Amino acid sequence: MAAAIPMKRVPDLSVEVIVGSQLPEMVSQPLTPYSSEAISFLGALSIRLFANPSIRLYPDVAAFAYWCRRSNLTRLSRSFDTQTRRIGRGLVLHIAPANVPVNFAFSLAFGILAGNANIVRISESNHPQATIICGEISDLFRDPKHTRIAAMTRVIKYPREHEITAELSRLCHARVLWGGDVTINHLRSMITSPRCIDICFPDRYSLCILGAEAINAADEQAIDNLVSGFYNDVFLLDQNACSSPHLVIWQGSREDVDNAMSRFWPAMEHLLSTKFVPPAIHAVDKYSHLCSVAIRLKGCTSISRQQNYIYRVRLESLPEKIENYRGQHGFFFEAIDNDLEGLKSIVDDRFQTVTCFGVSPQSIIDSIIEAGVNGVDRVVPVGKALDIGVIWDGYDIIGTLSRIISEQ
Amino acid sequence: MSNLEKYVDAFKETFMVQDSDLSDLKYQDIEAWDSVGHMALMATLEERFNVELDIDDIIEFSSFEVGQSILAKYNISMS
Repeated sequence: MAAAIPMKRVPDLSVEVIVGSQLPEMVSQPLTPYSSEAISFLGALSIRLFANPSIRLYPDVAAFAYWCRRSNLTRLSRSFDTQTRRIGRGLVLHIAPANVPVNFAFSLAFGILAGNANIVRISESNHPQATIICGEISDLFRDPKHTRIAAMTRVIKYPREHEITAELSRLCHARVLWGGDVTINHLRSMITSPRCIDICFPDRYSLCILGAEAINAADEQAIDNLVSGFYNDVFLLDQNACSSPHLVIWQGSREDVDNAMSRFWPAMEHLLSTKFVPPAIHAVDKYSHLCSVAIRLKGCTSISRQQNYIYRVRLESLPEKIENYRGQHGFFFEAIDNDLEGLKSIVDDRFQTVTCFGVSPQSIIDSIIEAGVNGVDRVVPVGKALDIGVIWDGYDIIGTLSRIISEQ
Repeated sequence: MSNLEKYVDAFKETFMVQDSDLSDLKYQDIEAWDSVGHMALMATLEERFNVELDIDDIIEFSSFEVGQSILAKYNISMS
């Protein structure tokens, strides 16, 4: 390891250090993006996580482990900018979200891959997924092979809205901020170093576009795959993730759509009934949300439900600010919108992911670009809503967390 | 260690199965080879054989036997 370059030392703040030694011992000497140190560390983490028996209980940890396997990172490194010389920005502060337990790990991995030293503040929710991942990282850091990454990495906890965030914000070169709009606005109001950049992941709204003809023509296997993909998108995180759909847009004639609905939703119900029994509180929440929506939102034409698993509100047309009516635990609005004119008229910068089946993703992206709207950052097949990657919320995260050293 | 031994080891370590269970083992035959087990197996094979499996091959990797012909495409011969 090269001699440590002088940097502003991180002061000894009163935080609980989950991973790494005390904060003042941190080294912030950036590496190049996709450095061999970063890939070797994350690849080793992937192997360790797969060897941990408790991974079987947490598909989200498995998905993270699978993403950070060496071969995938090597593949990503090849598609990364090779035209310019780059290096990490320095010290990155991550304020991780509480609603998606493994996102802190992705955020950290992005920071490491970009070549940075990283301080990750995780929520106090004590997710078991965080315990598993942090435990494996700590064990790996005892291996001298990973000394450099270990010196550049801290995972910490401290109470929300604490002065500590302000102090760390003044020190770092970049911040990755996850949270609700109020949290993000609060964090953005803090004074940072003048060169500090922020990547913000605030509340977003996501939807699904389904082609009725394709659903009606699909064989049983294709329907099984579709509903299990939709299940993963929505129910793995209880419809709480930003990329989980809350609105289903149908395309096709009214008759085709009616047929497709009566194929799709019962198949969903059947799958759900094999997975879990909905807690009574969720049913009550959905029912009271339904009543509230019926009172507040104009244009609801009918209401359907699949037992207490799924509540659906059918709309004649798409109203503005539909994102303010979102429910949880399997609560959907649905409407027919064949040319996407309705969608284009309501999209704003809150709209993030469009999942689709039986409709070409390319044509959806074309519509978004032609209309010149401010929302929709992502169009992926049903089943891929939660697959976070190095491009997220419209950012090239690795590119943004590194700086270019130009020659001319 | 031969390629076949490495291949067999990857299955045994990932799924905790015996040699005798392997020859006709298929995806979802055993509890351990579910979607999480599949990710673990693919990650292990990529690591052991130092290859990057194509996404289509990962999806088509449906049994102990099929896997051998898939790896053959990457010049990993079991014989």
